[in-house]
Amino acid sequence: MIKIESLTVQFGGVRPLDALEGEFTAPICGLIGPNGAGKTTLLNVLSGFVTPVKGSVALNDIALRGLSPTRRVAAGLRRTFQQELVVDELTARENIQAIADHISASRQDARDEIARALGFVELTGRADVLGRQLNLYERRMIEIAKTLIGRPKAILLDEPGAGLNESETDRLRRLLMQIPERFGAQLVLIDHDADLIASVCIETMVLDFGKLLAFGPTRSVLDDPVVRRAYLGTM
Amino acid sequence: MTELGKTEALPIVRRRAGEITPTLRYVAIVSVIAVISGFIALVAGGYWLSNFTQAYCFVLALTGCALLYGQLGLVSLCQWALVGVGAWISLRFYHFVHPPFFVTILVGGVGASAIGMIWGLPALRMRGLYLALVTLMLAGAFQTLITVTSFPVGGPGFLGQVGASGNDRVPMARPIYASSDTAYFLFVAFVTILCIILVEAHRRSKPGRAWALIRKNEQMAQASGVRVVFYKAWAFALSGFLAGVAGALLAGLFGQLDAGNFAPTDSIVIFIGTLLGGVDVWLGAFLGGILTRFIPALLIDFNVNAYVGLVFFGAALMLALRDPVGIGGLLTALAERLYAKFQARRGS
Repeated sequence: MIKIESLTVQFGGVRPLDALEGEFTAPICGLIGPNGAGKTTLLNVLSGFVTPVKGSVALNDIALRGLSPTRRVAAGLRRTFQQELVVDELTARENIQAIADHISASRQDARDEIARALGFVELTGRADVLGRQLNLYERRMIEIAKTLIGRPKAILLDEPGAGLNESETDRLRRLLMQIPERFGAQLVLIDHDADLIASVCIETMVLDFGKLLAFGPTRSVLDDPVVRRAYLGTM
Repeated sequence: MTELGKTEALPIVRRRAGEITPTLRYVAIVSVIAVISGFIALVAGGYWLSNFTQAYCFVLALTGCALLYGQLGLVSLCQWALVGVGAWISLRFYHFVHPPFFVTILVGGVGASAIGMIWGLPALRMRGLYLALVTLMLAGAFQTLITVTSFPVGGPGFLGQVGASGNDRVPMARPIYASSDTAYFLFVAFVTILCIILVEAHRRSKPGRAWALIRKNEQMAQASGVRVVFYKAWAFALSGFLAGVAGALLAGLFGQLDAGNFAPTDSIVIFIGTLLGGVDVWLGAFLGGILTRFIPALLIDFNVNAYVGLVFFGAALMLALRDPVGIGGLLTALAERLYAKFQARRGS
């Protein structure tokens, strides 16, 4: 459960987030909004890269304020980034091991968790392939596999479907829907693909210019005329 | 909710024919350096043997430089000054305590490692050109300082200097088992092998993976649980340790050292040699180190001004920038191809 209270972020004269309130309670939540709405800024506040001027965020009732990004990882927070960041010189397995090194309880746990994550994203057969030889879909999957290590509590995915074709997005959707049940983690998904959001997210938050535009069950939020005007354009 | 017991089938680890396993890499390190060193010990003497011993000290310095640049993308231009720091500390320690030689080496290494970590502090905030400039200034500052204080030669007090005549200078003694030039060269080769294995073990395990994430993207590394400051400091400590060991070995080679041997230009030449050799494989620093010492030595042998060497390294840098894998990278790729071919033929 991710709780956001009167969150305000200020960069000079710009307010990427302005008195944002909300609580993600559903197992899979969406976070949408036009470019510059503050989605990635919210992710950066949650993962500790941006310090808000006001307000607070909490993960399962643990206040995150003052915790370093690595402490937040230890507290169960995981995230991916908009651009994919698989290391070319490490193999698929080593890319995942690089996070297990720091958060798995023991070597045995690390081995089990890596095997389980690789199996989940269906890349067991590609474990020993170097990062530079993986295709975009595989790289995106490795990034998701990384977030599944060490009993995550909440996973924030920043546009995991960017650049994927239709059949790959289908596979991604199928995997995402299994994460809460199989790994016990809540999923927060940023994506521009309204179909992907509509099909996997139970609740969705819509941001516009750093302010909360709508929040609630995905279908009703997407059908909201205000949201359609701001986000989807006139339709 | 989490069902850790219900694990998917464990991945099948299938070795490709001709794959370079970690064990094989260690065997390669030991055998390549041992064979080359054995040959040198048999053939070379006097001037050239001394130059090869120095070359191995360069190899250690370059290995540290390659570690910082190859693993973290950090340009350090104070590596040779750190060798000087290690040499000063080991000489100081030697004249106070007269310990066994390997203890002197360790003290030099650990001392330079601590200084290297402090000198690495700017790297927490800056990289690229700015870090290069700051480290170069540190190298300059060291030269100024060492010109004033000089290296301890067994005199009284903390600085360990003797009177102007210099007749009471006490050289640092080599270990009994390596007192001859040839034996000392083989001893240095042995320490070089140990140090290269130490770095290789780092690169292939937890710190190496953490460094790879940091180089790719620091925020992503943090989001993967990597304590960036700690792992950067670790890299500087390890790199400083290698430089310190090199300094102690140099002190043992000559018995006493001259402040004039630690000019900042040497640190720049070391960085160029690092690029020339290649930063991704151990062989790069090994060959780069030998070249870095050898070109000036050859020039002296041919009675050419050693500064011409700087021109050579400048030109070599152009080549190195065109082909970033370096000589070591090219040779390693060739060796791996040959090995794969050999294994495939043996398999069929």
